Formats: sequence, structure tokens, C-alpha cells
Amino acid sequence: MATMSQPRSSREETRLQRIVGAVSTVSGVISAGLIFVSVLITCQMIWVRFVMNDSTIWQTEAVIYMMIAATLLGLPYVQRLRGHVNVDLIPGLLPPKARRVLAFSTLGLGIAVIGIMLWHSFELWHLAFERGWRSDTVWGVKLWIPYLAMPVGFGLYILQMLADLLAEISPAAED
Amino acid sequence: MDPLVLGALVAIITVLVLFSGVPVAVGLLIVAAGFVAVFDGFGALELLPEIFFGKLNNFALLSIPMFIIMGAAIASTRAGADLYEALERWLTRVPGGLVISNLGACALFAAMSGSSPATCAAIGKMGIPEMRRRGYPDGVAAGSIAAGGTLGILIPPSVTMIVYGIATETSIGRLFLAGVIPGLLLVGLFMIWSVYATWASGQGDAALRRTRYSWREKIEVLPRVLPFLFIIVGVLYALYGGVATPSETAAVGALLCVLFAVVLYRLYSLTALWGVLRDSTRESVMILFIIGAAGVFSYMLSSLFVTQAIAEWIAELDVGKWWLMGAINVFLLVAGFFLPPVAVILMAAPILLPIVTTAGFDPYWFAVVLTINMEIGLISPPVGLNLYVINGIAPDIKLKTILVGSLPYVACMVVAIVILCVFPGLATWLPDALMGPAR
Repeated sequence: MATMSQPRSSREETRLQRIVGAVSTVSGVISAGLIFVSVLITCQMIWVRFVMNDSTIWQTEAVIYMMIAATLLGLPYVQRLRGHVNVDLIPGLLPPKARRVLAFSTLGLGIAVIGIMLWHSFELWHLAFERGWRSDTVWGVKLWIPYLAMPVGFGLYILQMLADLLAEISPAAED
Repeated sequence: MDPLVLGALVAIITVLVLFSGVPVAVGLLIVAAGFVAVFDGFGALELLPEIFFGKLNNFALLSIPMFIIMGAAIASTRAGADLYEALERWLTRVPGGLVISNLGACALFAAMSGSSPATCAAIGKMGIPEMRRRGYPDGVAAGSIAAGGTLGILIPPSVTMIVYGIATETSIGRLFLAGVIPGLLLVGLFMIWSVYATWASGQGDAALRRTRYSWREKIEVLPRVLPFLFIIVGVLYALYGGVATPSETAAVGALLCVLFAVVLYRLYSLTALWGVLRDSTRESVMILFIIGAAGVFSYMLSSLFVTQAIAEWIAELDVGKWWLMGAINVFLLVAGFFLPPVAVILMAAPILLPIVTTAGFDPYWFAVVLTINMEIGLISPPVGLNLYVINGIAPDIKLKTILVGSLPYVACMVVAIVILCVFPGLATWLPDALMGPAR
């Protein structure tokens, strides 16, 4: 029975994986854009401070939040590129079957822990939004804006890991 | 449970989880969340995102993506090849020949790119085939570049030093300066070994022969390398002249490097520019994720009193300070064999630094010793990133030859650590002289 459903399920999975992959890529492009814009803002800040002899209000805080957002939104894309550094010492010592079981379990554990981060960061975001928290600086930015990067980033990261997990359990991966 | 026993349990589980192939940052989060949930209760998990966010909420961290962009922009151009050519033409009178200019090029490129694998790839692509053509033994050709590449994390500006500065709250500018003389010391040791090994292989006459270049040939390469050198000098000047913070200077450096790559090396195409930005984003995200996750991990360690217990335990052991330093070196060396430098520093430095400073060692000197240990990890199995980079650019040299060729350079690094232990001033003199004594 399992073999009967194999072609259909693997075709659906590849489509799902393609969609998730595209979302991760868009997220990665936004992340790269945020990093590039923060280069420009930092340069502008130096210009204002050292050339115009003026004081800066929002720049330092803005670029920090942009860097945090870039990190979180970059997570799914870097996962897709297999760019998160890892040490596969134990998998290298295992026979193929055990290696698959291990890969499956580590992905599962990863999804679980990022799930915890997703849930609690959503709660934090919600609290900041409801109570109108602001950062205690001159700029006083509404904190739900930078906090939003966490649930969004972790959420997309989980999506990409789920797509990878599906690829791991699909019969095609066994070849 | 006794915090020390708990610490041992954390250590064992961390090693198992990290070696299972899970991304390092995710592994740290898994261990941290697991122990927090078991010992502090599930309710305590709600603190983790705030700690993660708080760890990244630091302006100094911005220098990491900036320096990475700077390096990626330079690495995407022919700058490595040009630098190599320029040094070969200018250093031709220095005895030792090509391998000397190769190592010099590695040191300079390391300073510009701040990345070990990028240095290996950029200089090795030109240097290894040329050295082999001129009769250098394969082991020296591959080993010198693998070792020269590791200088990327020691010679400023270095991302590894920035991470150490952030993890231990030490001055990044001072750390950069502390790496300069030990970096030159390592280059010197590498050069001595390379020339000796070539001479001892019996092929010295051919390999070490000097090629003559006309002044015209020497001068025509300059316009292509000087701009990047000016940027590096400019960045370092702005940093030490007190003009701007590391993050600010790095941002200007990043913008200038990208502009120079576009203007001088005609890197107009959007695909090429996206390549630079994509590679920088990938590396920055990877490192910043580890930093956030390591923040959560060290929160777990201190909330379970593990950090404090380890420090007390070592203080009670009452061993001589050099025995302590020896043990710490062995620990760092072993950790560096398996884990990327950033992860080792983030996990170990906050625990080790109080112990090391209490024992009377200088935190900046320790940063240099720690970094050289991490450099050894880059050219030692099983991870040895640089060995695989060399294997990728010179596939016809056997991995075993690269590995055996790199071993003497590991010995050079151990010698450098010993020299630094005898003469700690090699690391501390320059920062003290330029920035005044540390507080």
C-alpha cells in the first residue's frame, strides 16, 4: 500500500517543498536587504555626527533592530542553503539506516525547540503590542515592531525545517 | 543536584547533541531549553526569547555583518590574485622565494577579509599551482596556504576577536591590536619552516631560486592592490584614532570595499553583487544565530549555578597557574578540533575568563592564545575547514598529503603559544603602547 501512494505523495511533497523554499528565499532576500540598508544607515549616521556635527537620534537603535530582524528572517533561508554550521561526527559513524533515524530525530528536536521559541516570542510580542511597550530611549520605538521579527522568523524557520523533515521521511530520500 | 555534577551532565549532553549533526545554534537551544525545563520548570521557558533578543540587542554585534561584507566583497574580486602577484614581484629579493610571498599574501589577505577559508581559497588558487610548478613539495605548497589562511582569525580585523570582545566585555580595538605581533610571529615561524622543509626535501635549489622582475612590472600591479590596503589602514586608523566605534568603521569599510569592487574590478552585474550580499548574509546569520543561542545557553548555565560552581571548583583545586593554563589550552585545543571558533569562544570564554584573570593572566593575552588554539582546529581533523578548502582547490593533492603537510605548521602554532607564554608582552605591548595600559 505504501508503495502505491508513493509517487503521488512525493510529487505533492516536492511542490510543498518548492513553495516553502520560495518563501524562505524571499525571507532571505529581505534579510540581506536589511543588512545592506543598515550599512547605509550606519554610514549616514557617521556623516551626520562627524561631518554635519549634529546628533543622531534613531539610527543606532534602528540598525540594531534591523540586524536582529535580518538574523531571524535569515534563519529559514540559511537552513535552505544548509548554511547553519554543524558537526556531523556521530552520523558519520553510523550505518545509513541509523543515520536517517538520527537525522529525523535531530530535526524533530530542532522543530520542537524552535516551536518553544516561536510560542513564547509570540506571547512576548503580543504583550508588547497590548500594553504599548516602548524602548527607554529618546526615540522610544514601539517594542512590538522589533519583537515581531522573532515569531515571524522562528515561524518561517519551522516551516523550512518541516519541509526538510518531509523530504527526510519521503521514500525518495531513501535512494 | 550538585551544580558540578549538573555541569558534567550538561557537558556530556551538549557534546552528544552538538555531534549529532544538528546545527550548532539549534543544538545549544535544545540543551538550554531541556535543562531549563527540567530544573526550573516549563514556566521558565517563557524567558528564553527575551534572553535571545537581549543578547543580540548590542550595537557592537553590527560590526560582524559589516566586516563579513568587507571580506566577501574583496574575496569576490581578483584582489587575492593581484595581491599575490604584487607580493611575488616585490618580495623577489627576499630569500626563500615564492613561499615567502605566498605567506605574506595570506597574512595581508587575512587582514582584509577576516576569514580563514576565504584566505585559503583566494591565495591558494594562484599560489598552490605556482609553487608546485616551481618544484616545491606538495606538502609545503598545501600546508603553507592552509596554515597561512588560519591567520584570518588572528590578524585584525577579525570576527573571532569581535565575538571574544562581546562575550567577555573586553575592548575590541585592544583585542585587534593584541593580535598583530603574534600574527607576525606566526607568519615568521611559518616562513622559517616552509623554507627549511623545501630545502630539506632536496628541491631547494630549483624552488627557492629567485625570479627577476623589472621596476615596471613591480609598479604596474600597485594600482590594483593599494586601494584595498588603504581601506584596511583607514578602518584601523578610524578605530584607533578614536574617530568611530568598530561597527561604524566596519560599515564605512564595507561600503568602500563594495564600491571599490564595483569600480576597480568591474563587479557591476547584479548577480555578482547579490552573490556578495548572499554569502555575507548566510555567514552573518549563521554567526549571529549562534551568538543569540549561546546567550540562552549561558543563561541556563548560570541559572543552574554551573558557571559559578566550575569557577569555585577550579579555585579550590589550587593548582599552579601554568598547570591551569596548560589544562585550559588542552581543553580549547580539543574543543577547537570539533567546533567552529565562534561557538567555542561563546561557550567557553565567559566561563574561562574569570578563572584566567583571577590566576593573574591578561585577558587580551588570553584572547590571542585562545585564537591560536582555534587556528590549530582549522587545520586539524576531523573538522579542519581549511584542509577541505585546499582539497577543493587542489583536488589532485591527496587529503593525506595536505594533512601531513599541515602538521608542522600546527607545531609552529604550538611553539608560538609557548613563546607567548614566555613573553606575554608580545600580545600586550602594542595595545598598551597605542591605547595606554588596560584598566
